[in-house]
Amino acid sequence: MGTVTVAGGYLESLLQGQPRPPSSPLAWFNQLRADAVERASALKVPTTRDEEWRFTDISPLLGLSFQPVSAGSALDAADVGRFHLKEAAIRLVFVDGVYAPALSRRPEKVGTGPVVANLSEAVVAHATMVKPHLARHARFQDDVFTAVNTAFMHDGALVFLPRGAAIRSPIHLLFIASQKAAASHPRCLVIAEAGSEAMVIEDYVTLQQEAYVNNAVTEIVLADHARIDHVRIQRDGIEAFHLGRCAVSLARESRYRSVAIALGARISRYNLDTLLAAEGAECTLDGLALITGRQLADTHTCIDHAMPHGTSRQSHKCIVDDTAHAVFNGKIMVRTGAQHTDSSQSSRNLLLGARARVDTKPQLEIFADDVKCAHGATVGQLDSEEVFYLKSRGLTETAARNLLTYAFGAEIIDRIPVASLKHRLERTVLDHTQRS
Amino acid sequence: MSAVLQNLVNQPYKHGFVTDIESDIAPKGLNEETIRLISAKKNEPEWLLAFRLGAYRKWLGMEEPKWSTVRYPEIDFQAISYYSAPKPRKKLNSMDEVDPELLRTFEKLGVPMHERAALAGVAVDVIFDSVSVATTYKQKLAEVGIIFCSISEAVHMHPDLVRQYLGTVVPVGDNYYAALNSAVFTDGTFCFIPKGVRCPMDLSTYFRINTEESGQFERTLIIAEEGASVSYLEGCTAPRFDTNQLHAAVVELVALNDADIKYSTVQNWYAGDENGVGGIYNFVTKRGLAKGVNSRISWTQVETGSAITWKYPSCVLLGENSVGEFYSVAVTNHHQQADTGTKMVHLGRNTRSTIVSKGISAGHSHNSYRGLVRVAPTAAGARNYSQCDSMLVGDACSANTFPYIQVRNHTAKVEHEASTSKIGEDQLFYFAQRGIGNEEAVSMIINGFCKDVFQQLPMEFAVEATKLLGFKLEGSVG
Amino acid sequence: MIRADSDIVLEVHGLRATVNDIEILKGIDLTVRRGEIHAIMGTNGSGKSTLAKVLAGHEAYRVTGGSVVFEGGNLLDLEPEARARAGVFLAFQYPIEIPGVANSHFLRLAYNTLRAQRGEEELDPLEFEDFVRDKMKLLEMNPDFLDRGVNEGFSGGEKKRNEILQMALLEPRLAILDETDSGLDIDALRIVTQGVNRLANRDNAIILVTHYQRMLNHIVPDYVHVMESGRIVKTGEKSLALELETRGYDWVSGERRAAAGV
Repeated sequence: MGTVTVAGGYLESLLQGQPRPPSSPLAWFNQLRADAVERASALKVPTTRDEEWRFTDISPLLGLSFQPVSAGSALDAADVGRFHLKEAAIRLVFVDGVYAPALSRRPEKVGTGPVVANLSEAVVAHATMVKPHLARHARFQDDVFTAVNTAFMHDGALVFLPRGAAIRSPIHLLFIASQKAAASHPRCLVIAEAGSEAMVIEDYVTLQQEAYVNNAVTEIVLADHARIDHVRIQRDGIEAFHLGRCAVSLARESRYRSVAIALGARISRYNLDTLLAAEGAECTLDGLALITGRQLADTHTCIDHAMPHGTSRQSHKCIVDDTAHAVFNGKIMVRTGAQHTDSSQSSRNLLLGARARVDTKPQLEIFADDVKCAHGATVGQLDSEEVFYLKSRGLTETAARNLLTYAFGAEIIDRIPVASLKHRLERTVLDHTQRS
Repeated sequence: MSAVLQNLVNQPYKHGFVTDIESDIAPKGLNEETIRLISAKKNEPEWLLAFRLGAYRKWLGMEEPKWSTVRYPEIDFQAISYYSAPKPRKKLNSMDEVDPELLRTFEKLGVPMHERAALAGVAVDVIFDSVSVATTYKQKLAEVGIIFCSISEAVHMHPDLVRQYLGTVVPVGDNYYAALNSAVFTDGTFCFIPKGVRCPMDLSTYFRINTEESGQFERTLIIAEEGASVSYLEGCTAPRFDTNQLHAAVVELVALNDADIKYSTVQNWYAGDENGVGGIYNFVTKRGLAKGVNSRISWTQVETGSAITWKYPSCVLLGENSVGEFYSVAVTNHHQQADTGTKMVHLGRNTRSTIVSKGISAGHSHNSYRGLVRVAPTAAGARNYSQCDSMLVGDACSANTFPYIQVRNHTAKVEHEASTSKIGEDQLFYFAQRGIGNEEAVSMIINGFCKDVFQQLPMEFAVEATKLLGFKLEGSVG
Repeated sequence: MIRADSDIVLEVHGLRATVNDIEILKGIDLTVRRGEIHAIMGTNGSGKSTLAKVLAGHEAYRVTGGSVVFEGGNLLDLEPEARARAGVFLAFQYPIEIPGVANSHFLRLAYNTLRAQRGEEELDPLEFEDFVRDKMKLLEMNPDFLDRGVNEGFSGGEKKRNEILQMALLEPRLAILDETDSGLDIDALRIVTQGVNRLANRDNAIILVTHYQRMLNHIVPDYVHVMESGRIVKTGEKSLALELETRGYDWVSGERRAAAGV
């Protein structure tokens, strides 16, 4: 557990001893960073004494020193080709947090059409659209890591979908870690105007297995009737630290669907906050953490039903092997007046290793009476009846267990609407189950 | 519709009267002198005074817990009197020597203090403010070796037993209010069921707070030796005051091999008025240690009273194959706040636990279930099933569910389910369309909702619980 | 089963009703005699389910005009439970689930309430069990039904059968079946409609509220009324339902517009 002194020192070194991103021509953008620096200095790095971090001890992070990378990447297309998704005609690549235009493939902006561009550059051209949203949804006032991200805010993706626009190709945002001890603070903003549609894939990968830190923040804003599919794959290196945050705001009759998969990182934490801010909004959050060794994967989600007739569905699964530790905290809030909310949540956990550990806390906070809310949580092994059934059909014990474990994880992966990515991940789960 | 519901849930509090009786009240305030005074008044042995002072010093270094959802103004612990006893306090030889005013009080509350008039098969210990005023059936129970008396008496008559177990299940520094209780507890009930004895009758304690400025800090200790079993019931009421009274009890249960303790509570402390003025702060620590192989501890609670309830009757399942159960109905109305639930700590192999919690919120109240299921690495084969349902009546209240599930053994199996339901226009219209009036409809819905818990209560309590909720039974209980 | 001389069960005149200050019923006239079966058809939002609920006394609806006379008395004066006891039965489109309350207990309470109303002695649980089991055979219902919570976890078909079982127990003078056919597969539809046919007799009357004609293949109505925008815009015999099925609701609206010269 980090003491306050250590924590203070850590933040100090983060904020002061490190190269700062170049200043923006936009005064308000620079001001936002300055405010975030101030806020980050006032906040403390959380310890397990904080309820929100009770099961996730991030003190190993504090003992290491990380530096933002400022130079452009020396990687070429051959180095990163294996991460490409054949369905994605649009791809923005970031290496150690820095935008790599040579590795990216993006459509030219035509007239008033959609924008998919690097944030630090595009923010200037699209300031009037960006300003009302940037740092308004993922507020940094109470979250030290969001504050640090905002303080270092520079490269990242800006996706802007004008009214009624539909981008058919998935938008692949590929974040590659190539250097050890690098600190990346990628920042993404997705603005979907009324009736627009797109699929955004956030994909965190690595070329090396030593320690680094990813501190990513994404904001997604959906106007009336907009639809966003959001796939988030975290396959960071086995010594990496991953701190992720995503804040989603949904307007009337809009629909947000998320599939978040955590496979990598020594310690990972993902906070996903969805605000159903208008009537008839709908969200589906699916998650899978597949971890082994001494990994720790922590997922915190909040579904905030602020208005009537909202619908939310959530299914979060963890497969935990060896001495790994999975944490899930899923809050569903139904605010006063959010009548006819229909919400259900399930947290299912499979413990494979004898010393594996799960801490799960689904929670309901309901302030409206005419609502339908349910949640369930299970922790256990594979169902012995199912194993027996498969064995009675001639499978070996191991094969039966592998198959069932695979099926447990595949249920979430199946919900990824990109075939090549789905197959790749299914392969990963299969390899994992066969290894164990 | 809402008017009907409001009338039904707004039954006037029937136990709000004050008994006019001369009391011996300690001056307000808390310091080591207060503790020495309490200990001296009770003529306690030195070890117990040391226990109290140790707890007090721990308490001074502790902070009030702030993690729950309950909100209340800061408590001035120096404004409370820590000892209040009806005068004169001489040793009673029979129930006939009890102050007639007290007898009348308890008669009015429906508590049987005369053995001859008592409900068949229930022995009662009666606690009035800080002291035990009477215990019935003591002799009869003694014949089979059962000790059933006030804890003050036990300290003198059975000091070794008390010393052996006191503070072993709830350590003095367990939490803020447990530490406070350990420092200042005044009386409570002591039960000891020796090896192999199945207690021939239900044992019960009736708690009554009477004095406005006094807190109530009782301490209950129940020990069931190998193969013993007991069913224990507890009821609570208090007069109506505009101020808040603090009730910080500690209950410890110990079950040895094959022992079985069933502990039932109907809590009906004064809840404050419809504007949230007055009422009891009920900050209670209850914990059972299922120490022996195949032992079982079962908590059943019906929580209807108190301005604030903060209470998590828990089971530490240490013995192999031991069983923990928690059945709860918590009803809140007006401005009541309840943050209640349980902890099931699985330490032994093949331990099993069941949690059934039903929360009903009405008015402007807040009702939270908070439960912990922890499976330690040693608890191979542990099983838990939890069901936590909430019902909301009206749209100004809230219902929260906070289950904490922590599993460190891969052979464990834990299942938790929660849902919400309501009594609303559509439900009542459906009944009405079948010719069933609103009152009866509400009663049926509530009883149906709580059925799984009411079934766990002993007969007399089930009746009282249902009456308390202000609803008729009509066949759905028992 | 039309007999022009039979008694009038229900006389609706100029009935208007609002929900949340929006007028849904805009002047309904309807006369139902003993022994008759009326079908009320219309698109979603035409007001047909509202009419059913207003007759049963749902308090979300406010009657703003007109009159409803049931068996000679003013129905609108009665509370919902009094209407039920007087013999108005509504089979719900979405029967309510009541967890924990045993179906047998609910049915017995409803039945005994009615008996008490008629000055008859209440049935004890054993007597009632025999009585209800007979009725359940009529609807091919499994006796397990009795031990489950009211509609709790019932399939759509089971819920509708449970509604008709209640109709069989309560023997209403006027049964209003609100979209009873919705969500039923062919077998369930057959069982439910057979049940209704057996319950229909010369002393009671039935109003079927439905969107589709398919229920009318099983229960033959004496009259078919078409509702649109809160009014009954066309009344005919059974053949009208078939015509609607083939020509669609637009046909009625079109015909009206033509008649109005729009």
